Amino acid sequence: MVLGTYKEAVSARATDKDILKVSQDGGIVSALLIHAIEEGIVEGAVVAGKKDGEKWRPEPGVAMTKEDILGAAGTRYTMSPNLTALKEAVRQNGLEKVGIVLTPCQTLALRKLQAYPFARFVADKVNLAIGIFCMENFPIAALDTFSQAKLETPKDDVDKMDIGKGKFWITSEGEEKGLGLKFTHGYEQAACNICSDYVAEFSDISTGSVGSPDGWSTILKRTDAGKTIFDSAVEAGLIETKPMDEVKPGLPLLEKLAQGKKDKAAKELEKREKLGLKVPLVL
Amino acid sequence: MTDNIKVISPTTRQEGHAELRMEVDDEGIVTKGRYFSITPVRGLEKMVLNKSPETPPVLCQRICGVCPIPHTLASAEAVDSTLGIEIPNAAKLLRRATLAAHNINSAAIHHFLVAPDITDDSNFVAAVKSVSNIRKNVQYVVDMIAGEGIHPSDIRPGGMARNITPFTKDKLVTRMKALKPDLEAHVELIKNLVLEAGLPKDLGANLGDSVPFSPYASYGGNEFPYEDLTEVLPEAWYEDPEVGKRACTQIPLLKGKPQEVGPRANMEVHHGRKEKGVIAQHVARADEMLVNYNDLMEALDAIDTSANTMTNWKVEGTGELGFGVMSAPRGFNVHMAKVVEGRIAYYNALVPTTWNIPIMGPATEGFHWELGAHVIRAYDPCLSCATHVMVVDDEDQSVIKNEMVRI
Ligand SMILES: Cc1cc2nc3c(=O)[nH]c(=O)nc-3n(C[C@H](O)[C@H](O)[C@H](O)COP(=O)(O)OP(=O)(O)OC[C@H]3O[C@@H](n4cnc5c(N)ncnc54)[C@H](O)[C@@H]3O)c2cc1C
Ligand code: SF4
Repeated sequence: MVLGTYKEAVSARATDKDILKVSQDGGIVSALLIHAIEEGIVEGAVVAGKKDGEKWRPEPGVAMTKEDILGAAGTRYTMSPNLTALKEAVRQNGLEKVGIVLTPCQTLALRKLQAYPFARFVADKVNLAIGIFCMENFPIAALDTFSQAKLETPKDDVDKMDIGKGKFWITSEGEEKGLGLKFTHGYEQAACNICSDYVAEFSDISTGSVGSPDGWSTILKRTDAGKTIFDSAVEAGLIETKPMDEVKPGLPLLEKLAQGKKDKAAKELEKREKLGLKVPLVL
Repeated sequence: MTDNIKVISPTTRQEGHAELRMEVDDEGIVTKGRYFSITPVRGLEKMVLNKSPETPPVLCQRICGVCPIPHTLASAEAVDSTLGIEIPNAAKLLRRATLAAHNINSAAIHHFLVAPDITDDSNFVAAVKSVSNIRKNVQYVVDMIAGEGIHPSDIRPGGMARNITPFTKDKLVTRMKALKPDLEAHVELIKNLVLEAGLPKDLGANLGDSVPFSPYASYGGNEFPYEDLTEVLPEAWYEDPEVGKRACTQIPLLKGKPQEVGPRANMEVHHGRKEKGVIAQHVARADEMLVNYNDLMEALDAIDTSANTMTNWKVEGTGELGFGVMSAPRGFNVHMAKVVEGRIAYYNALVPTTWNIPIMGPATEGFHWELGAHVIRAYDPCLSCATHVMVVDDEDQSVIKNEMVRI
């Protein structure tokens, strides 16, 4: 299955205007985390916080309140090693039920942590792993190159970055500028080129923009934990949904991109193997 | 071995390997008891030489998995001391809470180890369940504050890596308050079991000319009477050359006398209790759980969760020997360090059980040899941390060099 195992796919959007003001897409990650905290399903969540004074540099941290979650909303297209904050979350922050937002590669790492007893009483405290779709990720210097050097806008003046419709977009003072993805290629971190998971196949619930209309998100409910929290947020009126087959472009596009990522990764692996490079055994 | 020498080797339900060698009379009464470690060298004090000041707490905590917290703290305190670091108050409180919680845990482990000595089947399960409940709760405190319950990552030279959050503080206080009735019941249970176990009243009360050593009523500090310290090699201490050769520890003395450390010694020095022997030792250890509980609650209550916990320190230091003297579960754990030009130039650990080694053997005297193991276990010896080294000839095993006393 190209999208991994899932129970149900829907298109959805948060109903809370506070969330939609700051969220990247349909605000699903933030809405779910806020709901989980407010309902006591998790005591807090590990998110990609914003480093003081540097709004595009993520800093993994622990969110305990709605304000904290909203403060970390939106996508930073650069590496945020969220798992590094997990230990602090379950130690000095005292969390015994933890929500976490992860890219697909980080989701796989979390499941490995849970499967192998590397660190005691750490990864087992995660009871909600929200995965975000991810095609590639960039070093922070690349974001400077895209916005400052190529789009002539200092990174600090940018209000939103987004990837979609074949371009890397920045919005600054209400104005949108796009950079064709062929210009961003080569800047992604090398590991992304052999990454075969687009849709966080090992998460409890995954979400991203692809497949749904602008401002909406596509959701794959995977585990019981993921389905339960999502359905309960819908029931509480925090999330509105549309059936996936009623929205455009719908699942076919998501499947196409997910398959494309797998194929590309397989090719790149083959190439690296031929060059005699070390490649991971299992992806 | 002749009939009048009884040897238990290794002694059991303790950490590390040791031998108890007892000369007995025709009735089997011990006339001379000698207890000595046969655990091989630890060597960690040598490994930290020429390393950075951050290294000893990380390596030396691995001296032992039974009381790793006092080793980490003694190590960090010794380094703080030689570097002349005054750690922030919040860090002091976090360290204090960590040690108090750990000490309760360690006493509970000991109760598990001695349970077969003091209970029959009817109470065994209840005692073990009580031990597990207490350990689970107090270890949680160590996990949260120090980062890991066994080998903590967050006790560092200069203070503590990070503070706890208000959420965590509330959680710890609530959980510890809820534990109090269980802890009190546990202490009562253990004391009653000990008193009803049928142990002879004066068993283990022969403490010779030893002196109780307990320089701090709780936690510990940086003062140690170094000028009073002598360390005697086993060959000079034990009359029997065979024992002297096989024993792996030096004998530390203060002002020429063996020093008794541990809960009973603490109770004598700080609470005026005079009782000696196995029963007194068990009772003191049980009561000390509540002393540590109060210390834990006081420290937790006083922690300002918004305060800084780490000093900005420099590696230059004082060039003087620094001491970390911790009130560990089995007695005082002393680490000494000297930093010169930013590197560890000297490191030595004088660990709890080492102090008691010359005392435990003679304490078996005057009673039937079958009770010997009870006497040893009452001290809760932990030998993985108590070793010295000598060089022997491969062929005839004779001692070639017996001066590597600082390894
Ligand atoms: C590097 C990257 C590449 C992506 N590529 C795609 C893609 O190709 N297709 C697609 O559909 N979606 C992609 N996404 C996901 C998309 O950008 C949104 O994050 C997702 O749709 C969630 O939006 P939301 O409105 O529900 O979340 P919001 O409510 O805005 O919350 C977003 C959450 O993501 C966390 N976060 C932000 N940046 C990072 C980061 N770098 N690493 C980990 N967590 C982070 C934040 O802490 C926040 O909690 C990508 C995300 C990232 C980080
Ligand atoms: S493409 Fe794969 S490896 Fe790269 S950031 Fe995304 S999930 Fe991680």
